[in-house]
Amino acid sequence: MSLEVGGIRSLKDRFLIRDVLSGLRRLMDDRPAKLAMGYLSVMLVLAVIGPHIAPYPYDKILFSEAGQILRAQPPSLAHPLGTTSTGQDVLSRMIYGVRPTMITGLLGGLIIVTLGGMVGITAGYLGGQTDNVLMRITDFIYSIPLIPFAIVLVGVFGIDFFVTIFIIGGILWRGSARVLRSKVLQIKQRPYILMTKASGASTPYIILKHIVPNVGSMVILFFAMGIGYAIIAQAGLAFVGVSNPFIPSWGVMIRNAYRSGLVADAWWWSLPPGLLISTTVLSAIMLGRRFEVLSGQTDDAMLEMG
Amino acid sequence: MSMKRYVAVRTIQTAVLLMLILTFLFMLFRLIPGSIADQMIFQGASPEAVAAFEEQWGLNDPLHVQYYHYLVNMAQLDPGTSLHYRKPVLDYVKLKMFNTFILVAPGVTAGYLLGTSLGTIMGIKRDSLLEKYGIFPIVGVGTTPSFFLAIIGVIIFAGWLGLVPTSGMITPQVALEMGEDAPWWKIYTTGDFLWHYVLPFSVIAIKYMYEPLLIMRTSVVEMAGQDFLHYHKLTGLPKARWIRHLGKHAIIPIITFYPISLGRAISGLVLIEIVFNWPGIGNALVEAVLQSDYPVIQFVFFLTAAFVVVGNYVVDIVYGMIDPRISIAD
Repeated sequence: MSLEVGGIRSLKDRFLIRDVLSGLRRLMDDRPAKLAMGYLSVMLVLAVIGPHIAPYPYDKILFSEAGQILRAQPPSLAHPLGTTSTGQDVLSRMIYGVRPTMITGLLGGLIIVTLGGMVGITAGYLGGQTDNVLMRITDFIYSIPLIPFAIVLVGVFGIDFFVTIFIIGGILWRGSARVLRSKVLQIKQRPYILMTKASGASTPYIILKHIVPNVGSMVILFFAMGIGYAIIAQAGLAFVGVSNPFIPSWGVMIRNAYRSGLVADAWWWSLPPGLLISTTVLSAIMLGRRFEVLSGQTDDAMLEMG
Repeated sequence: MSMKRYVAVRTIQTAVLLMLILTFLFMLFRLIPGSIADQMIFQGASPEAVAAFEEQWGLNDPLHVQYYHYLVNMAQLDPGTSLHYRKPVLDYVKLKMFNTFILVAPGVTAGYLLGTSLGTIMGIKRDSLLEKYGIFPIVGVGTTPSFFLAIIGVIIFAGWLGLVPTSGMITPQVALEMGEDAPWWKIYTTGDFLWHYVLPFSVIAIKYMYEPLLIMRTSVVEMAGQDFLHYHKLTGLPKARWIRHLGKHAIIPIITFYPISLGRAISGLVLIEIVFNWPGIGNALVEAVLQSDYPVIQFVFFLTAAFVVVGNYVVDIVYGMIDPRISIAD
């Protein structure tokens, strides 16, 4: 299987690295994927350096030359996206908001795909009683309505940014677990896996070496979708007011705009963060989907989330 | 597995699931830092009232006795008295539930009808301009948070155009004029209600177009390649009748998804309710959390979860009848 070059396995022969590299190469040939990747890269860069390039600190209250607070000023040259009702620069708040959004997406997506992958692959491959127990747990999680659950938990146990991400991740893994399980059920019947089994390979070996690579692109799709849904859910919770209001996320911005009563007039305040949420989510999901399509796997996973 | 056994197994599973949710809630509200009694004292109740309250709800009993009473009460649909409104939770929640339902059920249904029709057209007319570019706004809507979609609606139709009110279900004056003793359903028959209703309804319909549209499109495309449809085309069947043949088969996944969506929408649209300040259970839940009104939180949360569970149950049973292979396979 692997080419031995002078006794040392070349890095490129490791299936994981090889697959990821060829996958990336394919993605770069695809226009929608390139667009989405470009967008997300910009967001990632902004998440890292955003606070250093924002024109004003996000919580700085701005005054006009006459000493008046600049309340809900429409867009102008000095403030390209206007100001909030408490006199803060909207553009700066937006740039600051990239970081919490990216943290939410990446951490949330990671939790979703880790839990979902572990449960789904274990249940699918082991089958029997393990499968039964794990799937009943998944059923139970399916019956928990995410937003009300998060409102109750966060409302009762206190408001914290990371708590909301863990709650979201702790619920939304259910979709990926179900789909990955059914995928593994199909794969484990393939002749080469049965052969490996017959030749005495251990269960962990088969799962890591043969099952995981085969569901890899689906795992990536669920990671991408997890990013998207975690961001949407977190923004929703921030909007309800059950996320830390002192972290300037986009959801909190929309909430502030809505609560100020100016939402219908001060469109420059609520529209940009909302549009950024949708474009970020769209890019993440599109990237995952293009990856899945290009890798030649089925597309039945799309709707099994949430 | 015979059909009877399948129904029995699914019924037992569903009952166990509901039990689990109840148990989970029971434990959750006993994990809360600070007892309900503390909360009452904080809200200004006298020690006698607290003692009476504890006695009434058996809060001094051992946990398993409490658990037993709790299950009995819930089974009899008696979730207790609201701590804040001092009236039975059921009476309070009933009307909220109705308000949510009257908004969500028609909204989701309209979304499904629209989405299914559009999805069929897109599936049939593949590679047309509509199919190529029409998908972008749809996916855009799908990835936009529901509450933000609602806010866009408010900005455009209530703010800029001024066609509809920004929030609420009815103008307070109209409700007052009707008087105290008007029957509870009277306000739903007024034009004022309809005027408040249009925007939230439309937002929900648009939000819920996304899933059925994508499912239907894929389903139609898959179906169109089948032999029997090719045969129908060869026999010169009129296009309209051909589409009917196709639709009958392609629509099955939609039928599966609809009740599930409906069950989930009750809880999923909490955010839209909040944007429009619609007096439904979503708003009731947030309010109850802010007021630490545990009986209300407990019951509303159980209701939203029960809708999902029962929705799935109905789908499984109906689907098992339509397509018996499902029940055998599982």
